[in-house]
Amino acid sequence: MSSPEPALVVCRGLVRRFGERAALDGVSLELAAGETLLLTGGNGAGKTTLLRVLATVLRPHAGAVSVAGHELPRQARAVRPLIGYVGHEPLVYPSLTALENLELYASLHGRSAESCRPALAMVGLERRRNDRAADLSRGMRQRLALARAWLHQPALLLLDEPTAGLDGEGRELLNGMLDEHRGAALVATHEPDRFAGRELRLRDGRVAA
Amino acid sequence: MRAYRALLRKDMLLELRGRELVPAMLAFVLGALLLVRFGLGGETQAGGTRAATGLLWVVVVFTSLLALVRSFAQEREHGIWDGILSAPIDRAAIWAARSTATIAFLVITQAVALPLFWLFFLQDGRSPSLWVLACALLLADLGVAMLGSLLAGLASQVQAREVLLPVLFLPFAVPLVTVAVRVTVNTISPQTSGFSTFEGLGFLALYDTIFGLLGWALFEYVVED
Repeated sequence: MSSPEPALVVCRGLVRRFGERAALDGVSLELAAGETLLLTGGNGAGKTTLLRVLATVLRPHAGAVSVAGHELPRQARAVRPLIGYVGHEPLVYPSLTALENLELYASLHGRSAESCRPALAMVGLERRRNDRAADLSRGMRQRLALARAWLHQPALLLLDEPTAGLDGEGRELLNGMLDEHRGAALVATHEPDRFAGRELRLRDGRVAA
Repeated sequence: MRAYRALLRKDMLLELRGRELVPAMLAFVLGALLLVRFGLGGETQAGGTRAATGLLWVVVVFTSLLALVRSFAQEREHGIWDGILSAPIDRAAIWAARSTATIAFLVITQAVALPLFWLFFLQDGRSPSLWVLACALLLADLGVAMLGSLLAGLASQVQAREVLLPVLFLPFAVPLVTVAVRVTVNTISPQTSGFSTFEGLGFLALYDTIFGLLGWALFEYVVED
């Protein structure tokens, strides 16, 4: 009998406030390695805040959070190499070309510049590699953001509305990327039907019953 | 080192592409020196070497502020902070790269400002020791860039950043400017001052060391949410 996959992400009673308002109010969840979890819920439900806490950009105010056994925020440095994060913005410099943006992030992740070409090819931007990000369409910038997050083969993909701006082909590329991805993925989306995976609904910063 | 080099290359490329900072800094230096020279109708020269030198350093500090206020502007305006801060790097590398880029921009600006200063204010045979003046400028640039990048990182996290940065930066710049003016005056007219040039340069180096260590140690926390 095979043992169950150990949890890659564990949250217990996670609280994150902005001023007096609790954006996350006691969220608990587990995500196994290799699993895709779809975070759903209305605007302001806490999806983006949860992803930003796991991306080590926001500190939790209470509760326990760990990624691959490393506690946040204390062991954030150990967690950062494991995550690939796509936020609301593409997180790329408009004045740099697609290739220069990926080369920058490759360097920050200790990867060689050669790793950028396959990532660009994967999202269909190989021919636009020397175009500035500002000259790319919204959908192409989103593809570039996906390539940036996937570049270092992270154990955990954190995707916030990853289909925003993507056309049909882009969405197929995204699903192909998630199929190929061997690690876990946490996807905040308003379109859960477009993805395969377990759904977790948030409402007002809590896990909805 | 790898992250530092990548971030510095990025900062230089952004300036090369956008040409946001250096042209504005050059225009400011030129405008300020012209304004003082012709607007005051030579009264600065009558006010002595100290007044002219003080003006040079005030121009240097305000030119630095132009660069510092735009520090991390792209990260802020395009929400790129999340991408950089979630990367597995020592965050002090962000500060070090930004400081180095600022020093480079200041050196370029001063390469234009110094000949103009000489032309406008030192046409009566007085001449500073170029080596001492270059040392003073470089040490001051280091201090301004390291302190300024730390404060710019802090200001980038708040709403009223354009107001907050000068309010935080200028008081810390007072000792730097005071000593830099005295060093510069001393190189032009050594007989008018009992101040030791080398002590002054030593103070500037100490200032750099303190804010270098503070920047390295604290930047991680100032950009923390």
